[in-house]
Amino acid sequence: MQRSLRILAAVLVLGAAQVRADETCQSPYLPKVTGQEDFVYVWTLGIAGLGDGSDKLVTIGANPNRPDYGEVVSSVSVGGRHEAHHGGLSDDRRFFWLGGLDDSMIFVFDIATDPIRPRLVRTIDNFEEASGGVVGPHTFYALPGRMLITGLSNTADRGGRTALVEYSNEGRYIRTIWLPLGAEYGYDVRINANLNRMLTSSFTGHENYMRKLGDLLGDAEAMKRFGNTMVLWDFHARQPLQRFEVPGAPLEIRWALQPRHYYAFTSTALTSKLWGIFRRDDGSFEALELADIGDPSKTPLPVDISLSADDRFLFVDSFLDGMVRVFDVSNPRKPHVIYERKIGTQVNMVSQSWDGKRIYFTSSLLANWDGTGGEDEQYLRAFTWDEKELTPTFEIDFRSEQLGRPHLMRFGQLEFHRGAGPQAGAE
Amino acid sequence: MSRAACAGGAAASLLCALIYTGALAHETHEELPEPTPLLYEPPAPGSYELPTIDRVEEHVLLGEGGAAVSLPGLQQGQVAIVSFVYRSCADAQGCPLALAVLRRLDRALAREPALAARVRLLTVSFDPERDTPERMSELRRLMQPKSDWQFLTAPSKEVIWKVLRDYGQDALRLATADGKESPTLRHVLKVFLLDEDRAVRNVYSAGFLNERILLNDIQTVRAAR
Repeated sequence: MQRSLRILAAVLVLGAAQVRADETCQSPYLPKVTGQEDFVYVWTLGIAGLGDGSDKLVTIGANPNRPDYGEVVSSVSVGGRHEAHHGGLSDDRRFFWLGGLDDSMIFVFDIATDPIRPRLVRTIDNFEEASGGVVGPHTFYALPGRMLITGLSNTADRGGRTALVEYSNEGRYIRTIWLPLGAEYGYDVRINANLNRMLTSSFTGHENYMRKLGDLLGDAEAMKRFGNTMVLWDFHARQPLQRFEVPGAPLEIRWALQPRHYYAFTSTALTSKLWGIFRRDDGSFEALELADIGDPSKTPLPVDISLSADDRFLFVDSFLDGMVRVFDVSNPRKPHVIYERKIGTQVNMVSQSWDGKRIYFTSSLLANWDGTGGEDEQYLRAFTWDEKELTPTFEIDFRSEQLGRPHLMRFGQLEFHRGAGPQAGAE
Repeated sequence: MSRAACAGGAAASLLCALIYTGALAHETHEELPEPTPLLYEPPAPGSYELPTIDRVEEHVLLGEGGAAVSLPGLQQGQVAIVSFVYRSCADAQGCPLALAVLRRLDRALAREPALAARVRLLTVSFDPERDTPERMSELRRLMQPKSDWQFLTAPSKEVIWKVLRDYGQDALRLATADGKESPTLRHVLKVFLLDEDRAVRNVYSAGFLNERILLNDIQTVRAAR
């Protein structure tokens, strides 16, 4: 059996159920829940004067066979606004790590003991000090026994130079690995365990991502301080191997999921391009520009992307025009748009079930980059996807629910955590 | 794993067919899967760092004939490879895969006696109620270890749960459709590399569980002493 099959198998076969349904694009070390997802957990940035104004983890019912379908099931505030952004599940899927880009706070929720009502069990408030000056914990990527975290910035100049930081599952700092000279900026990290290769991408520093978007776009000097590189690493050794020029802030990275598919995709925020990183016959990689995303001259600002488990469809959200474009990437070197739809006045994150049938979108990018007035819709919108079009199923208005700005989503399931075991609360 | 679990897309069905076919054959661990060769050349020993991830406690478990055995019970200069398995595990890519890789490591160590003297392999059962010392001795006979490879169980569920919590190894006893206790445990495959100070220096799951990587990491930890 192919090694990639083995890894996929290892995360799929634990336990008994009927249908696979996890979101795609997760760490290969993360076990998949099986069956219909019961909940979508949404890391939500607080809005001053709305509800309690704090960042919070919101749990949305997502199972049409449960009475809480399409409703807010619970909401747990962490107190204060930290620029809630991204997060990730631990290697056993019991804990949900969440980061704040402004003050680098990290919040760890237990989602296993009571998946309906996650509980804040750990707060890491010294990330910058412990890591040696890394700012803005962004991607949280499960490794066996550890959490790999990308930074966006640094304490020295609040610019884009940054690092990868590792913590143990228990919240103990392990090490910091600064990105290499000439490719110092950071954003996402994704690992292909079959190839022992890791990719990182690049965004911008605290000085830029915390500014008002309108001001920033008008500051030519500041706009030069965005990442234009990706780095390929020897993952096991944590050593950089290749640097790629990918102009215009390459953000989310998605490795192909099928056996013998040795490539990854990314999109560039400022230049609105879809890129592919392909393995050559000699084992090295090359980065190739593949397609426009919308009209680059209008800067639609591509943000999140999501690849279907069969590597056929790549969903690409662009923030400023509120569009999702679905690329057929069956031929990864010649992707083409097969469907597009306006999701809202703005759209950022997109997550899909493992079977590719359910697609979820959220609206917020950054507190100071989100639209204003009527352009500042804040929502989670759920759809079904039949490989031809999206059909709405439910939506949550995060303003009328007094919640805030919804950002990263992860799926949860009651059955996954049901059983008797050694971990606290598992019985 | 039930056949019903194999509903899904084409790729998923292929996976399930491959997994299910092998599962029953591996259930007793008399036949183990063949680990796939690496698609890359692993980094050379000593060319990278393995910082401490965590630190575990000393535990007393049961070995051959029910004799008390320390886990990890390391002497100065020794390292341990600790794995958790259970004999009812029917997932070919779970416990049988771990045993297959450990057996390859065992054979590789046997070819390097000086290094083998510094390495303990410790395979511990998740399931002391079913995996008695006799059942683990049977597993030992199946594996025919050539190096210091021990097969341990615990005197009670409470004792092994304490060990599993210490190692951060998840495990859930599933229930059958009629609500009874299933022999199946859901767990993430993890293998632990410990140094002489009981510091966890690496944790392996399916992607990096390979005897060449284990050997290189053992040598890397020893070289950094």
